[in-house]
Amino acid sequence: MVTFWDSAVTKYSKSNLWILFHTAAVLALLVNLSSGLRIATLRRPAIAQIAELLPDGRVHQLHFLGACALTAIACAYLLFRLYTLIRGGFRSLDWKNFDYHRCVIWGGCAVLAVSLASGWLLLSDTAALGSPRELHFAAALGMLLYLFFHGGSYLLQYGRRALLLILRPTRQPGGRLLASAAVATGVVLGGWHFIAGSAQHSLPVLRVSVSTPIHIDGAADETEWTSAQPLTLSTEGGANFANGNTPVTLRALHNTREIYFLISWRDPTESLTHLPLRKTENGWQVQQDGFHRFDETRYYEDKFAVLLSDACDFGAAGTAHLGRKPLDNKPANWHGHGYHYSDSDRIHDLWHWKAVRTNDMYLADDNFIGPPDIRRPGRRRYTAGYRKDGKESGSYVMNWQWYRPDTVIPKRLPRLAEQLARYESAGGDSDWVIPWFDFAPYAAENDDFPEGTLMPSVIYSSNRFEGDRADVRARARWRDGRWTLELARPLDTGSAKDVAIHTGTCLWVSAFDRAQVAHTRHNRPIRLELE
Amino acid sequence: MWRRALLLFAPPACVLLVAILHQQPPPTPVEYHLGKIDRNGEAMGAWSGPWACVCDARTGLLWEVKTDDEGIHHGDWSYSWYREDFGVPNNGDCYFEEERCDTRDLIRRSNRERLCGTDNWRLPASAELQTLLYPQAKEGAPLIDTDYFPKTRRGDYWTRDGEKPLQGVYRHLKHGAVAIDFIAGEQVTIPYRNAAFVRLVADASKACHQLRK
Repeated sequence: MVTFWDSAVTKYSKSNLWILFHTAAVLALLVNLSSGLRIATLRRPAIAQIAELLPDGRVHQLHFLGACALTAIACAYLLFRLYTLIRGGFRSLDWKNFDYHRCVIWGGCAVLAVSLASGWLLLSDTAALGSPRELHFAAALGMLLYLFFHGGSYLLQYGRRALLLILRPTRQPGGRLLASAAVATGVVLGGWHFIAGSAQHSLPVLRVSVSTPIHIDGAADETEWTSAQPLTLSTEGGANFANGNTPVTLRALHNTREIYFLISWRDPTESLTHLPLRKTENGWQVQQDGFHRFDETRYYEDKFAVLLSDACDFGAAGTAHLGRKPLDNKPANWHGHGYHYSDSDRIHDLWHWKAVRTNDMYLADDNFIGPPDIRRPGRRRYTAGYRKDGKESGSYVMNWQWYRPDTVIPKRLPRLAEQLARYESAGGDSDWVIPWFDFAPYAAENDDFPEGTLMPSVIYSSNRFEGDRADVRARARWRDGRWTLELARPLDTGSAKDVAIHTGTCLWVSAFDRAQVAHTRHNRPIRLELE
Repeated sequence: MWRRALLLFAPPACVLLVAILHQQPPPTPVEYHLGKIDRNGEAMGAWSGPWACVCDARTGLLWEVKTDDEGIHHGDWSYSWYREDFGVPNNGDCYFEEERCDTRDLIRRSNRERLCGTDNWRLPASAELQTLLYPQAKEGAPLIDTDYFPKTRRGDYWTRDGEKPLQGVYRHLKHGAVAIDFIAGEQVTIPYRNAAFVRLVADASKACHQLRK
């Protein structure tokens, strides 16, 4: 029996223009779904089960380009429908043939609209809107269902004929069609280039006198801070934050020699218990829940990272490369999230404030992101382009001779048992840093601590780093569910591993809530505007 | 219709299933010319520890590994150059000798404890020590593979090559010994009395022989 749609498929054919736009829409949708699901693996381990099917590398750019294409096609389709509606009136809607396929198509259009709207909202990084990521993810799943119910049902019903109908041109593509395709491609690429180049938050950097003291103490009690214009943006996708989201507020000052940042973010818990050691019946054990694969999200300190770059590309200046093995000839990562590295010789600056390991040094760890490092056979963790600036001396070390997930032998033990009394519970607000000389080298005969004893794992072997790695002064305080961090650095350190700061320098910020790598992120770069 | 449904849905379902079942194995160590040896002379995996010595399969030499345990192999200890009856004794800084330290003290102690199952520890020749220079060292780190040789200081390390004429401001001291500077990777001749670092070496060790096999 030949149905209406059978005859429609055999009798009717699609115009070349329709085929062009439909094919472009399908490709853009597939690019967006695959790149979007890859981005979703950062927060949703279940999606990582199919990570082998998803693209690796700079997927943020791919996702944004696909979104521009899909938005352009959706707008063109909307304009076309409006045009036919105006020209033919409501009768042109053809309500009589409102069957299964039309229902699915209209449903798909609605889901696509939600997907595009939530995606563009995500790009806005607007803190007041909360996080539209959940809605965006739900819409992505809706689009997957749409592909199944729309494309799948056509293929099921008509087989190859349906494919021929949507893919085989009726006649040789004419010059007008090729011109249309070229114009459409130009519009998409031009729009992408324009939006990518202009979609930046602006952070004015207020100029103050060189004689104005700005104390880096986390108190932020200098009156100059109140004159600096704040920028608040939503960062999301981090572990342990409510819905993975925390709004970050930045203010900036400079005195022509140094730049100062005041950054605050919401974090209900002050996390200082950084990989503590607990005495068990088998010996000392590192308290961890993911550290073995370099993705600790429970027993870790709070952190904050600032990335500065002369490039303003999406995906942290183009340094974010997602996937377990985005570099063919380099080691895979343990957590499957990806690597930060530079595709060129360009150096990106990375300041990494750590609530335990650097806060008492009044420093942020001055690091950088450069080209991928060589493979280092003795090192279990490969970090690609993420590396530390050089130092002359000074460091923190972890209080174990060698890390193992079962038990470890500490480097040092307290000289007096009372020194550990204040760490009775892992939730205390004690100082979780051990000064080197307050403890003695480990000796088995001195290790008579009872089971359950908790001991900090971070040892300061000196007060602070010295050298290039100590260029960023930093101090933060936690109060009433917020961290307040002050940072200072010379505008130009002269180091090849630092980025000189000027108007046009872009930065990105990330908060870590007791997480090793699972940080929050935002989409649009912050462009500094120095007065 | 059923055949079409099978063709349409079976391949994607299979691909999904294979993707879910086939998870990437965790990274594993690669072949390398350096190998870790524990305190008793047993070989260890590349990502195991702590280790006390490193065998270099390219040269067959066994090298002492420095520590931060304040024991005799602590990386901060420095030594004056002293061998048998010439050089300058007890002019370096360490905690493990009643007096100050010289190179002979560390050799004696290491042989006595049979570090890594060996008792023929000695100072390396310049050419031997230079085989450890590692130009790909990380920023600000000494020019050595610190993943195998941690606690190495940015400074001079003694070699056994003594009785070398001194130049410049040291000329009046007449003779000194060669050291390798692990900041620039250069060979320098410095007075015996100087406090420099030491990394001992042993050849024909059982541990290294087994590892190379």
